[in-house]
Amino acid sequence: MDMSGSYRIGAPRQAVWTALNDAEVLKLCIPGCEEIEQTSPTTMTARVVQKIGPVKARFNGAIELLNVNAPQSYTIKGEGQGGVAGFAKGAADVTLSEDGGETVLEFEARAQVGGKLARIGSRLIDAAAKKVARQFFDNFHDHLNGKDPPGD
Amino acid sequence: MTNVSMTVNGKAVSREVPDETLLSEFLREHLRLTGTHVGCDTSQCGACVVHVNGKAVKSCSTLAASLDGSQVTTIEGLANGGLHPMQQAFTENHGLQCGFCTPGMIMTSVDMVNRYKADGKELTAQAIRGELAGNICRCTGYHNIVKAVEDAAAKM
Amino acid sequence: MSTGIGARVQRKEDKRYITGKGKYTDDVRNESQAYAAFVRSPHAHANVNGIDTSAAMAMDGVIDVLNGQQLTGDGIGNIICGWAITSKDGSPMNMGAWSALATSKVRYVGDAVAVVIAETQALARIAAEAVEVDYEVLPAVAASDKALAGGAALIHDNAPGNLIYDWEIGDGAATDAALAGAAHVTELAVTNNRLSPNAMEPRAAVATFDECDDHYTLYTTSQNPHVARLVLSAFYQVAPENKLRVIAPDVGGGFGSKIFIYPEEITCLWASMKTNRSVKWTSDRSEAFITDAHGRDHITTAKMGFDAAGKIVGFKVDTIANFGAYMSLFSSSVPTYLYATLLSGQYNIENIHCNVRAAYTNTVPVDAYRGAGRPEACFLVERMMETAAREMGKDPTDLRRANFVQEFPHQTPVIMAYDAGDFGANLDQAMAAADVAGFAARKAESAGRGKLRGLGYSSYIEACGIAPSAAVGSLGAGVGLWESAEVRVNPVGTIEVLTGSHSHGQGHETTFAQIVAERFDLPLENVSIVHGDTDKVQFGMGTYGSRSGAVGMSAIVKAMDKVEAKVRKIAAHVLEASEDDIVIEGGQVKVAGTDKAMGWHEVGLSAYTAHNLPPDMEPGLKEGAFYDPANFTFPAGTYICEVEVDPETGVTDIVQFTASDDFGTIINPNIVEGQVHGGIAQGIGQAMLEQVVYDDDAQLVTGSYMDYAMPRASDVPSFSVHHASTTCPNNPLGMKGCGEAGAIGSPPAVINAITDAIGSNDLAMPATPQAVWNAIQAAK
Repeated sequence: MDMSGSYRIGAPRQAVWTALNDAEVLKLCIPGCEEIEQTSPTTMTARVVQKIGPVKARFNGAIELLNVNAPQSYTIKGEGQGGVAGFAKGAADVTLSEDGGETVLEFEARAQVGGKLARIGSRLIDAAAKKVARQFFDNFHDHLNGKDPPGD
Repeated sequence: MTNVSMTVNGKAVSREVPDETLLSEFLREHLRLTGTHVGCDTSQCGACVVHVNGKAVKSCSTLAASLDGSQVTTIEGLANGGLHPMQQAFTENHGLQCGFCTPGMIMTSVDMVNRYKADGKELTAQAIRGELAGNICRCTGYHNIVKAVEDAAAKM
Repeated sequence: MSTGIGARVQRKEDKRYITGKGKYTDDVRNESQAYAAFVRSPHAHANVNGIDTSAAMAMDGVIDVLNGQQLTGDGIGNIICGWAITSKDGSPMNMGAWSALATSKVRYVGDAVAVVIAETQALARIAAEAVEVDYEVLPAVAASDKALAGGAALIHDNAPGNLIYDWEIGDGAATDAALAGAAHVTELAVTNNRLSPNAMEPRAAVATFDECDDHYTLYTTSQNPHVARLVLSAFYQVAPENKLRVIAPDVGGGFGSKIFIYPEEITCLWASMKTNRSVKWTSDRSEAFITDAHGRDHITTAKMGFDAAGKIVGFKVDTIANFGAYMSLFSSSVPTYLYATLLSGQYNIENIHCNVRAAYTNTVPVDAYRGAGRPEACFLVERMMETAAREMGKDPTDLRRANFVQEFPHQTPVIMAYDAGDFGANLDQAMAAADVAGFAARKAESAGRGKLRGLGYSSYIEACGIAPSAAVGSLGAGVGLWESAEVRVNPVGTIEVLTGSHSHGQGHETTFAQIVAERFDLPLENVSIVHGDTDKVQFGMGTYGSRSGAVGMSAIVKAMDKVEAKVRKIAAHVLEASEDDIVIEGGQVKVAGTDKAMGWHEVGLSAYTAHNLPPDMEPGLKEGAFYDPANFTFPAGTYICEVEVDPETGVTDIVQFTASDDFGTIINPNIVEGQVHGGIAQGIGQAMLEQVVYDDDAQLVTGSYMDYAMPRASDVPSFSVHHASTTCPNNPLGMKGCGEAGAIGSPPAVINAITDAIGSNDLAMPATPQAVWNAIQAAK
């Protein structure tokens, strides 16, 4: 599955970049994220619960940042094992550009699912991924503007 | 664990079961009424259909605990001795082969005929086919099932 | 009312099914039952670098977690394919190792790596989720042509290029020459879509090891419990045959998928011994999609040449068959001896050549599914005939008639010797029943409503009644395909028939009893059929390949011949008459032309009291027989499909489906017609709805009934089913087989009808509304 998008975030580029590299901020903003831990400047481990159609799974995964070009761009790559639900992996090229005092974030993402997620949820992956992405950026924008999403 | 009490085939039953117990599991594993079958895990095939308070329900997607106090009828309890006209029609019209989908087919069809009769609507062959959308049979090609339902509808 | 041959007898087995008293494998529950759940690969291709079972083992109620190293360490053998195919260069087929639990590598999504045995099914499944497997993911391939192309991931080390065999049949040079000299050559590329059998009862196994007797009992969803026992014993070394009882109780459909012996049955038996518990496994539908053998999946290109008069002069076929990740039990025979040998269709063709390459891919193993090879052959031949007729501007029925085999026996250039048939009679009957004469008016009426109406034919032939043992042995089969029966007359005259055929919906308890009741002129209820238990029935080859009638019932006839001979001797002795004068009728054994008679039950009693038997006669009245058929049988017929297509949406309605079949002698028309109905519905499913889809990473994306479109009641019409029969000369009842014909004959009729309606020949199965709409747009 391929997906791309562009979001305008009401904060300066440096602030956006810092937040995108902050495990605590990511934990707050990634929908369903239960735990995230920075293991090195460019790697993290995470636990995320996602529901795709009838399949609900807790993914234990690793996140890696590649091609880091602060504060303009990086590639964020993740891979999660969801037990019998299968696995999900993907990568997104993220670019930040300044526009006035705000920042335009553009991304191109590729994702792949396997196991039960693919067998039962494949039709629903695109919609689910778009929804998760939109929620993430909404949360992220809100966070940088002092409104944190309610934790669950 | 939850205590579930209901009336199944006219008999009061009460069992202590895990909260997540489905009605199909309750019937098959706790009451050992194995006439109710499970043919899929996405509530599409209809092999598990039973009647709850007189209406057809897919027992594989209903929590037993949610039916506390209900009246449940399974294929084993459809007729009091003898055969229900729908059961009779299925055998007379050769509306079954391997028999696995048959309990669900019969329970769905009895409910179907009851509803059409209550509403005074005509149950055409086309309507029967539409009403069977939630019941899959792999053996019969449905031809004789439709004939059986038409036959039983005339006798019920 | 007659209950004999040809009577529409209501089924004896129905009562238990319609009252919920059927006993299927999942209904079996032993004392202190333990449950198995399998840990399955979510990856299509990966090395297994480690399995961490500690978290699962630590759970309360988990009895054990077992893996492939332990299984092979205990000497459990690899799963085998029982039919050896030799490549055209003389080399044997390249069979890769298949362990019931993977040891070092997984090769498809669903490949099992470990099994959890726990106190409840729910707990077993939760614990299976806690088993952590360290996978090293490898590139994967799902499509057979890509698997054979250079550079694809290598699936088995001993199958270079993922090629299992490269096989051919027929005379290639002669066929090429015939095509070169042809007045017209039609070329066609077809894909036969991959299907999932989907018997409504998911597979299940309950295995119980008895430590005291060192004995195993297996309840399983099998079409052939004796073959299961043989293979489990001889090849997988689970237990010697005398220490293994296999019971297939009521079985909820099979369609081929329950022929094979799968990893789960083997594992449950072994795990029962390891844990000293009765172990039960029941598949759910999601698991069925990734463990039950799939069917079909051919990619074919073909050329058929005609002379100026429209006679076929040559037929050349090139096929790639997708075998999935491992070779299942009969997989190798399906695209060879069950496919290429039927490429002559109903036609007199002098030159045929077919080349088949079998490919490993990272998908579920592929094996026999209703029709097994013959639907693929029929689809190709009948699409070819219709396409050629359109190209040459001929009526498709005229082209068929001009090429029909007229004289029998007929030897085709691809092994088969057709024994009997009247193909023109079936075509005539179908055309009359379908009112082909009135089609033009119906088409005009549809056009008036903006709809496209089309008519499609399929004149199919198949080979079933599988099979003459010596013949299949010479072609590589590892087993003989005879059948056995034992007829026991009790001292009170009632009869039990023990048969190696197994019923999983076919109604054997009724039809088998009918032939016995007719032969001895007894009430139907005096005859019981016993099957499905290796402790009761001595041996049998089971039910598949439309063989229970032509082979299974023939064995019963042979045993009845022996019973009758003994009855005559006893009666002649007691009644002091000549054996030749004895007649059996009306529940009596009589001396013809006299009033001397004894009751049938008195003959039974005489045999067992043994007070007054002929000298040297053994007491008792029980005879067994093994019947080995002399030839395949060749059911044939014509199917006509009429469709109406909405050009705005591509939605296609089958407005009429007409069948004329030649099944030889029919024992019970209800049951035969039911088989045809079900077969046609499956064929319509293949033609319009069903397809197993893998994505580019070999992930299965049609893993439930939300995405795999099963035919529902509103997807199929009522069927118009007719019979015009010739008698099969090669078995005592004159029977052919009826179990697969519907699924074999119907797909090309549907596609021929839709392509006729839309005026474009470029349409693949399944012809979904989207596919039909696209074909209409592309043709504009």
